Amino acid sequence: MAKKTPIRELTRLSLLTAVALILWVVEEAFPPPVPAIPGLKLGLSNVVTVYAVFAFSPAKAALLVTARVLLSALISANPSALLYSACGSVFCLAGMLSLRKILTVKQMPLLSVLGALLFQCGQVLCAALTAGSFAPVVYLPPLLLWGALAGLVTGICARAVVHFTEKNRL
Amino acid sequence: MNEGQEQPRRRKIALLWGIVGIVAAVSAVLTLLLSRKSAETVVEIESGGEVLYTIDLRQTPDTRLNIPAPNGSYNIVCVEDGEIFVSEAGCPDKTCVRMGPLRADAMPIVCLPNRLVVRFQKGD
Repeated sequence: MAKKTPIRELTRLSLLTAVALILWVVEEAFPPPVPAIPGLKLGLSNVVTVYAVFAFSPAKAALLVTARVLLSALISANPSALLYSACGSVFCLAGMLSLRKILTVKQMPLLSVLGALLFQCGQVLCAALTAGSFAPVVYLPPLLLWGALAGLVTGICARAVVHFTEKNRL
Repeated sequence: MNEGQEQPRRRKIALLWGIVGIVAAVSAVLTLLLSRKSAETVVEIESGGEVLYTIDLRQTPDTRLNIPAPNGSYNIVCVEDGEIFVSEAGCPDKTCVRMGPLRADAMPIVCLPNRLVVRFQKGD
């Protein structure tokens, strides 16, 4: 990087990466909400991703997500699910960063929902490619439906975080 | 932001919400259609692209089948009370175990790492 990242920003990025990772680990520890649909989860670490998209420059938000994905690879017991969710994260982040310009903090839930939908598409696409068949595509409708709901919840949480940090000047 | 920029931006936001709504509605309908319980009772167990077993759930007593995977791993497939499910898997995922008993035509039980598929036979 040509320009140095201020220490304050670097610290915040590292802290948020840690928070995202902890949310991810906690979520993995719980049984899946609908076990019949593989790949379905709450996506709590999406709260951090949505927040980061608004709070940092695109490159730094991407850095945070990359760090989370790489670090989660070290502690995951489920390599193929991890590959799918990493692929989903890339889709989600790319979509959110490109939509960031037309949306404001007020529309964070919308951005989060769109991100969640893209995450599911990326995840299913990755599963279909690695399996070499279209079979995983049948899970796309339930995953999208779930993603829309979970994305809404995580988006509302992320907006609450922004309001909180602004109010307390963090 | 001035009025001139605000109007098209609002329209874009409304459009995005609309897309989300349509995707959610279509997904809900498709989810219901795809997860309908199958009327079929004949089940195929496929490993590495080859059908190893074809069993009728109505006529099969409770069984435990050990299915070796092409990669050296294994899955234990159980038939109990006319239902079929994977009870054990040698892979770290355990996705197939968590999926529970086979229900819908469109949603076979799949263990991707072990290339195992448990699905209803296609009706004629």
